[in-house]
Amino acid sequence: MTWFLDHWQLVLPLVLGALALWWLMPTAASRPRIVGALLGIAALALLAGNFAPAADARVESLMTAVFGVSAIASAVMMVTNRNPVYAALWFAVATLSVCGLFLMQSAPFLAAATAIVYAGAIIVTFLFVIMLAQQSGATAYDQRARQPFLASVTAFVLLGGLLFGLSKARPEALPPSPPSGDSVLDDRIVAAPDPPRPSIGAMRGLGSQLFGPYIYAVELAGTLLLIAAIGAIAIAPRRTQGQL
Amino acid sequence: MLDLLKSQLPTLITIAIALGAILTTCAYLIYIERKISAFMQDRVGPNRVGPLGLLQPLADGAKFLLKEDVIPGHVDKVLYLLAPCVAVFTAMLAFAVVPFGPVGDEPSWMRFIIAPDLDMGMVFIFAIGSLSVYGVVLGGWASNNKYSALGSLRASAQVVSYEIPLGMSILGVALVSGTLNLEQILAQQAKGGFLAWNVWTQPLACLIFFTASLAEANRLPFDLSECEQELVGGFHTEYSAMKFALFFLGEYTHMITIAFLMSVLFFGGWHSPLATAESAYPGAWAVKLGVLFAKVLLVILFIMVIRWTIPRFRFDQLMGLAWKVLIPLALGNVIALMVIRQFGLSLWWSTVASAVMFCIAGAISTNASRAALERARSPLATAG
Repeated sequence: MTWFLDHWQLVLPLVLGALALWWLMPTAASRPRIVGALLGIAALALLAGNFAPAADARVESLMTAVFGVSAIASAVMMVTNRNPVYAALWFAVATLSVCGLFLMQSAPFLAAATAIVYAGAIIVTFLFVIMLAQQSGATAYDQRARQPFLASVTAFVLLGGLLFGLSKARPEALPPSPPSGDSVLDDRIVAAPDPPRPSIGAMRGLGSQLFGPYIYAVELAGTLLLIAAIGAIAIAPRRTQGQL
Repeated sequence: MLDLLKSQLPTLITIAIALGAILTTCAYLIYIERKISAFMQDRVGPNRVGPLGLLQPLADGAKFLLKEDVIPGHVDKVLYLLAPCVAVFTAMLAFAVVPFGPVGDEPSWMRFIIAPDLDMGMVFIFAIGSLSVYGVVLGGWASNNKYSALGSLRASAQVVSYEIPLGMSILGVALVSGTLNLEQILAQQAKGGFLAWNVWTQPLACLIFFTASLAEANRLPFDLSECEQELVGGFHTEYSAMKFALFFLGEYTHMITIAFLMSVLFFGGWHSPLATAESAYPGAWAVKLGVLFAKVLLVILFIMVIRWTIPRFRFDQLMGLAWKVLIPLALGNVIALMVIRQFGLSLWWSTVASAVMFCIAGAISTNASRAALERARSPLATAG
């Protein structure tokens, strides 16, 4: 119990976030959405003090914050929306926000690849299937969350584990007392200036990394995808010539 | 804040110039397209407003603004209004990394590219281009109209399929140039001279790129998502006034981007005998600009002529073309170039490989279509 009290900075926003998500989940009875929204904003505000981005330029930290908040908000909107088309679109917005975060971490190729694969192909396929399947609108039981409480708790326990791991790996990010003002941020930047690193995120660096040290992993993943593609073709129903 | 603004001034001016130029060009491309259609169908075309009908685009623009802005009942209003904006936004954003002039020769207060030195130029264009389908899909779904929904269903399948050959056809150029940066690809061709244009060594990649990008832009013969004979107007059936104009603007901007990419990637960009990479006479940049624009205009005219030359594909033919013809050919092209690069052969072997692959594909498809014809003729064909 004392452990929870010691780490209230991490636990409290998580609990608030889980409450917000559970409140926003679509149920039979309609709830005022503003309560969930306020809870979520409170959770984000509590977390913001702990996980301030350690970027030196103000514009960059602002952009990172905007992308991060929009990723979280659109993810919540995706999970809690009743309309599957809107859910797919919020998923696209969440993916694009994550692409923006990749871009801010100087991984432009990862950002572009995520945009092409997720936003450009996978979600378009989702939309295709939804439009094909749901011509007459969703039924009543489709508009309710099946296990909102368990889902929220599980998701936020996972998130808590992730955040706790991150704060362990980077202890200065979660100081025992919250930092006041810009002084701590400035000290950190002065103490650890960024050494000039080769840009692994750019095309050339990424390519030589993938086909240098990680060649076996790449080939293994490629083989796996090829097998999956062949399996998909084998499973797909065959039709005789000229029939649709 | 003021310093930030001052340092970004050339970018802002460039954006303003590019935006204005694209909007005007789109208006007059519609005029040109109508004139060419008229010419090919032995009609006169627009000739009432101004001399030769040259003021027709202005009249059309005024009509787009002044006509009643209908929002039909029972549409999903948010997505209905969002769709045309997405269509225009993605088309414009893709133009940001396209060099539209001799980069480096320009006056200091502007640039000939909006976002210079982007290492992954082509990948950026693909990333943005893959988002452009949202405009069509959302517009069709939100309109609450079965013709629109059918159009957007077709569009989503088509665009996802044709992205693959589009990306793979570029891999060959990237392998030869060693970069995906459009400015550097252009500079390498300009330095190598007339014979270094990528179209000579990679004619097949050029053809695949052109075909696939026509399909990406929903231009005839690939405009299955809006084909007038079957779907009234396809995804934009329910759109009117300025919202319809935005869809049109997106399509024509897409076409301009394609034409620029064709010129830059395969036809040497601004390089010509009039102004090579070495020529430094005053006004050389204007000549280069003119040459690039002439090439772009030729590509656009070619796209328009194709519209009235090749009939529209059937949907299964469209999918067959992407998956059974273009993707294997693009894959073969990439493998040929990999072999050439690995063993240090002359690049002209790539031309030979392209010709051989093209002939093989032609032989296979001729054989297949003859077999299909014979099947159709025999009385037992209905048994399947």
